[in-house]
Amino acid sequence: MTATGGFRVLAGCIVALSVSTLLACVNPGTPELTIAAASSLRTVLPDLIQAVPTSDLQVRATYAASGILRQQVAAGAPIDLMIFAADQPIDRLIQAGLADPETRTVVASNQLVLITPRRAPLITFESLGSLPAVSRLAIGDPRTVPVGQYAREALVRLRLWDRLRPQLVYGANVAAVLAYARRGEVEGAFVYATDARVAPDVVVADRASGDWAPSPLVVAALRQHAPAAAQHFLAFLLTDRAQAILRSKGFGPPPGHADS
Amino acid sequence: MPTPDLFPVRLSLEVAGLALALVLPVGVVLAWLQAHRRLAFRTAVDALILLPLVLPPSVVGYLLVIVLGREGPLGRALEALFDLRLIFTPAAAVLAAAIVALPLLVKTVQPAIEAVPAELEDVGRTLGLSPLFLFLRVTLPSSWRGMLAGVVLAFARALGEFGATLMFAGDIPKRTETMPLAIYAAYQVGNDRAAMFYVAVLVALSLLVVLLAARLSPRGLRT
Repeated sequence: MTATGGFRVLAGCIVALSVSTLLACVNPGTPELTIAAASSLRTVLPDLIQAVPTSDLQVRATYAASGILRQQVAAGAPIDLMIFAADQPIDRLIQAGLADPETRTVVASNQLVLITPRRAPLITFESLGSLPAVSRLAIGDPRTVPVGQYAREALVRLRLWDRLRPQLVYGANVAAVLAYARRGEVEGAFVYATDARVAPDVVVADRASGDWAPSPLVVAALRQHAPAAAQHFLAFLLTDRAQAILRSKGFGPPPGHADS
Repeated sequence: MPTPDLFPVRLSLEVAGLALALVLPVGVVLAWLQAHRRLAFRTAVDALILLPLVLPPSVVGYLLVIVLGREGPLGRALEALFDLRLIFTPAAAVLAAAIVALPLLVKTVQPAIEAVPAELEDVGRTLGLSPLFLFLRVTLPSSWRGMLAGVVLAFARALGEFGATLMFAGDIPKRTETMPLAIYAAYQVGNDRAAMFYVAVLVALSLLVVLLAARLSPRGLRT
């Protein structure tokens, strides 16, 4: 290749790279409603969005661990509606003046379960104390993931937390924890009942019930001065239709609401 | 706020040290072979060695998991034959660090070995000296600066491994949470004090490494 030819190729590459970079920055258009939802809501939020009785509602949903989402909102992410898997991150945003306290609503409840890969031996919460040291359990990072915090709460109450600590592999969100179990890399994992339902290659070995069990909640709030679409959506979540969809995915009713 | 936990610092240094212990003999042998042999598939071997350097760490991590994980072919074999499980252990962190550090060592040591004048080795060979003797008494004394630079760079790379470590060794605080993982975890909870502490330690160590490598490399090419 001659020097001129080589130079042309280089120039061409630079132009192509610049164009593709610029194209990537093009804004595809602002949605009417941006929702930040806990990873555990991946199974149900798309259906809820479909069922909202408003035609052509442009919705963008972003999923992550509630603790991570809280940080993103605190750092200025343009979120209209937050639906988290715990009350603490919502309350922190309210304290910081980033969420409207009047709109704080518990929309559903969930249950902590212990799952195992399909062909693995069955274990129970209480039997975890006799797990061999080489075994591993996947747990949401209790520093940021509500399902990890609920699991830690349960293990602390069962007096198993200190013993099991060196065996706990942290996942960045509940989907990551589920993936560890589905791949068979761990003997067990702590997820929500709603996640275990739809995962084909894991088995629910034990459910957290009893006085040591945590009560996972799904809590929502709007940002200050949220658009009408967001208020509309939040109100929709409490209707019978939305609750029926949540129920069909394994979520429980908000505490204090009788199931009709 | 309590003083930052020193465990990740110790763990990182141990992991990088062990990784280097693995990489040094393997890397030097590979570099020597590449420098001396006129193998037909030398270019292919070259590319393979370079691969972990060029691949994103998440690719390296993913490959490690699917091959050496509990469901992987090698992982299953290891567990069946030796009752050995690598995934989610400190050993996994060492392996991940070693794999990404190897190319750096080889690519720095190989030119240093190639720079040793062929005449010196030829003379040695005509005198009937064994390859090992030649290496220890001719090659090594002439190329030790390049080797040291390679060691130092490889150590720094092993120290800074994040993606593959996170995927293969997992994030287990006080067990596999090395400094890069601890920084990310601290950042995620807003513990800036701890994050800055680990960042400062890593920056200081990396500066040391870079300065050392810079002092060593150019002179390694002098004949």
